Amino acid sequence: MKVYNINKYIGLMAGVLLAVTINAQDYKLPAYEKFKLKNGLTVYLMEQHEVPVINVSVILPAGAIYDGEKAGLASLAASGLKYGTTNYPKAKLDEELDFIGATVNTFASKESAGLSSKFAAKDKDKVLDIIKELLTAPVFDTAEFTKEKKRVLTSLEQAKESPRSVIGSYFDKFLYGDHVYGNIVQGKISTVTGITVDDLKKFYKENYIPNGSAISIVGDFTIKEMKTLVTNLFSAWPQGKQSQANLASKPVPAPTGNRVLLINKDDAKETTFYIGGPGISRNNPDYISIEVVNTLFGGRFTSMLNDELRVNTGLTYGASSRFTPLKNAGSFAITTFTAVKNTEAAIDKALEVLNRLHDKGIDEASLASAKNYVKGQFPPRYETSGQLAGLLTQMFWYNFDESFINNFQKNVDGLTLDKTKEIIAKYFPKDKLQFVMVGKSAEIKKIAEKYGPVTEVQIKEEVKKAF
Amino acid sequence: MKKLFLPAFLLCVVALQAQMKADDVKTFTLKNGMKFLVVEDNSIPNANMYLFYHVGSRNEHQGITGLSHFFEHMMFNGAKKYGPKQFDRTMEFNGGSNNAYTTENVTVYTDWFPASATEVIFGLEGDRIASLSIDPKMVESERGVVLSERSTGLENSPWNLLGQSVQATAFQEHPYHWPVIGYEDDMKNWKQSDLEQYFKTYYAPNNCVVVISGSVKFDEIKKLAEKYIEPIPAQPDPPKVHIVEPPQTGERRIVVQKDVATPYLNIVYHTPESKSEDYYALTLLSDILSSGKSSRLYSALVDKKQLATSVFTDYGESFDPYLFGFYAIAGKGVKDVDLEKAIYEEIEKIKKDGVNDKELQKVKNQKLMQFYNQVETINGKSNNIGTYEVFFGDYRKMFDAPAQYNKVTADDIKRVANKYFSKSNRTVGILKSNTED
Repeated sequence: MKVYNINKYIGLMAGVLLAVTINAQDYKLPAYEKFKLKNGLTVYLMEQHEVPVINVSVILPAGAIYDGEKAGLASLAASGLKYGTTNYPKAKLDEELDFIGATVNTFASKESAGLSSKFAAKDKDKVLDIIKELLTAPVFDTAEFTKEKKRVLTSLEQAKESPRSVIGSYFDKFLYGDHVYGNIVQGKISTVTGITVDDLKKFYKENYIPNGSAISIVGDFTIKEMKTLVTNLFSAWPQGKQSQANLASKPVPAPTGNRVLLINKDDAKETTFYIGGPGISRNNPDYISIEVVNTLFGGRFTSMLNDELRVNTGLTYGASSRFTPLKNAGSFAITTFTAVKNTEAAIDKALEVLNRLHDKGIDEASLASAKNYVKGQFPPRYETSGQLAGLLTQMFWYNFDESFINNFQKNVDGLTLDKTKEIIAKYFPKDKLQFVMVGKSAEIKKIAEKYGPVTEVQIKEEVKKAF
Repeated sequence: MKKLFLPAFLLCVVALQAQMKADDVKTFTLKNGMKFLVVEDNSIPNANMYLFYHVGSRNEHQGITGLSHFFEHMMFNGAKKYGPKQFDRTMEFNGGSNNAYTTENVTVYTDWFPASATEVIFGLEGDRIASLSIDPKMVESERGVVLSERSTGLENSPWNLLGQSVQATAFQEHPYHWPVIGYEDDMKNWKQSDLEQYFKTYYAPNNCVVVISGSVKFDEIKKLAEKYIEPIPAQPDPPKVHIVEPPQTGERRIVVQKDVATPYLNIVYHTPESKSEDYYALTLLSDILSSGKSSRLYSALVDKKQLATSVFTDYGESFDPYLFGFYAIAGKGVKDVDLEKAIYEEIEKIKKDGVNDKELQKVKNQKLMQFYNQVETINGKSNNIGTYEVFFGDYRKMFDAPAQYNKVTADDIKRVANKYFSKSNRTVGILKSNTED
């Protein structure tokens, strides 16, 4: 496969192309209704009739930031919802959902927990009832928990087989330190080992509450009918009070200099690395402008990073950069991988490209290209009911509204070359860089030391509380 | 690089209303033999173009293994009008993005763009099919890219190494023997002349089917195709793949070493190609075995016996007889032999007692939901229409699939399980840390 999702170039664009602007993407968010139940649950309803299917997305304030000392607790609690309820013991639950081809997934992310579901419109009474049961009356069956815990412990070991599946957690830990944004969603072997079914119950009671949560339902139904159905189903869910302090709003410690975290993997034939630093929070007013600039830097196939590290030099299959925004902070990272022998060349190249962004900025032709690209690729992001349901709960969680969608094109078009200079200087780290490398220490430690003081750990060891 | 398609299915009349119908697909064939399938869909102001070339690793021979996939990469590296880098730059400048993938059977190019850029896309595709330039400098840097692609696949998933080993053991003569990515030594050895020959042989308009879905007009597409593609001359048909894999007459086993937490298991059985009458029964059998938590294998191995942390099966599309695969990762402390035995127990149950009507109905219901997923997007539409046209010989078969699935009975499932899941027809692969045991 060629590569997904990579980014930019600063070359001469043929004159004829400069005249092109993409104006066809006058994409507006379809109408929806938003209301709040008495218990505080926010509800979004949107009709979409293209296929006889309904999608549900739920977001709850029950993410890994509330794990405390028990890393992995939020994640186990979320999957624990599916151990069943009194009316739907696990075997019955799985069978009934499978029989009608419905999916109901529950999961935790760093800040929130979620449920997503998709089912045929004709099955809405049944599946919505199941969703209500899972959210409001899970029993956290001990036998199911014991089995799940065993699987999770094994999967934590298995994850270490793949640098790509663990490097993100190391990077967050390295960057955020002991701030709760450094919490590892999947947990760690030592902490998961100690978690009990009572921990799940307690976590559920404290954090799975309607106030502060939202449900969006998008698909083939009428709003009037669905409004009655949802109100009847979810109104009895008792309001709660989150007792834990909002630790996520504490300031994230700023990096004070270059640092390297080297994770030794003895059998590595590649070096997988992130180079990054602090990013932005989701409500940053420059969010869209940053997306446009990052598209040029590392967000698409012809991006500066991919052009240099893949196309020009063949050092890697793909190089990219990304901002990962959360509510109160966020991260920025350049990510790529290369053969062990090319480690230094690839890191130097990535840094060279980052310096070029700061020193030379971007030009009019590439800015025009990036604008066309992000506008052209925008509508397919919100094509399906599932995507729209997800968008609505994101709007709730990060507190933005449809103007984000409806003014997207205008806001992209409004970005000037001068503004991109500000964006680059303000949001793209230039120094005090955080390097995280997974690779064969015996061969790359000397190289790592070039970039800053090195902390070395073993991939088979537990991730430390902070580095 | 290798992606498996799940084809689309319609199962009941309900699904047909307001959904796509065969008549919604309009077609034309250019004088040079390139066939176009077009679906007008105005749900978003975007469109796509999927180009399916009938070439994959089964068209290679030892010495040039991996060349089909490498060629997929070279198709982005410059042609006559749009030189090196210009394909991607022009496409992205016009709001489009692209990707491509290669399998044993086909090479597929996918363009996604605002509908207003349709003509630009035709210009780009026409240019590279008509007059690709294979710049030796680009060949060298791109060689590094695919070597990295190979390496990062092996680095990040034990399945790659195990899957390659099993495939090479199950196929001893047919070109499905080698991996799509190629042998490392062949990858370092492809010659300019190999590439030129490959382009001439396989990248002919008559060896390609194009599907376009989105906010476009059929008449407009036809005009653009006539302008940009029709002047490109047809080529003689590529040589047929003449090797037929001899029947397997005894179980084959392969063990490979990698530092993993618990053993990985891959068991495959030779099964027929997509055009076979058993295709539909085998596909439903795969779902009965592993689709959902109530499926036979998940329920027995992961849930009840806790022998595996995950288990799945697949039976994908192919031109020549290929494989039905079982995949499982052992739980902590579980011996690979015990996991293997438990898989056979589940297979034997189906061979002996068959499946019940409810679980058959369950997987038929799931197929309907899969169909909805696939026609929900313009990309799903192009992908599925193209897959049916290429692998089943006619896109209309996609609309006939519901009837085909409905016809499958519990007896059919039992019959195909007995026909293909025999000990002498299987290859067993195990990947683990300690291979000295």
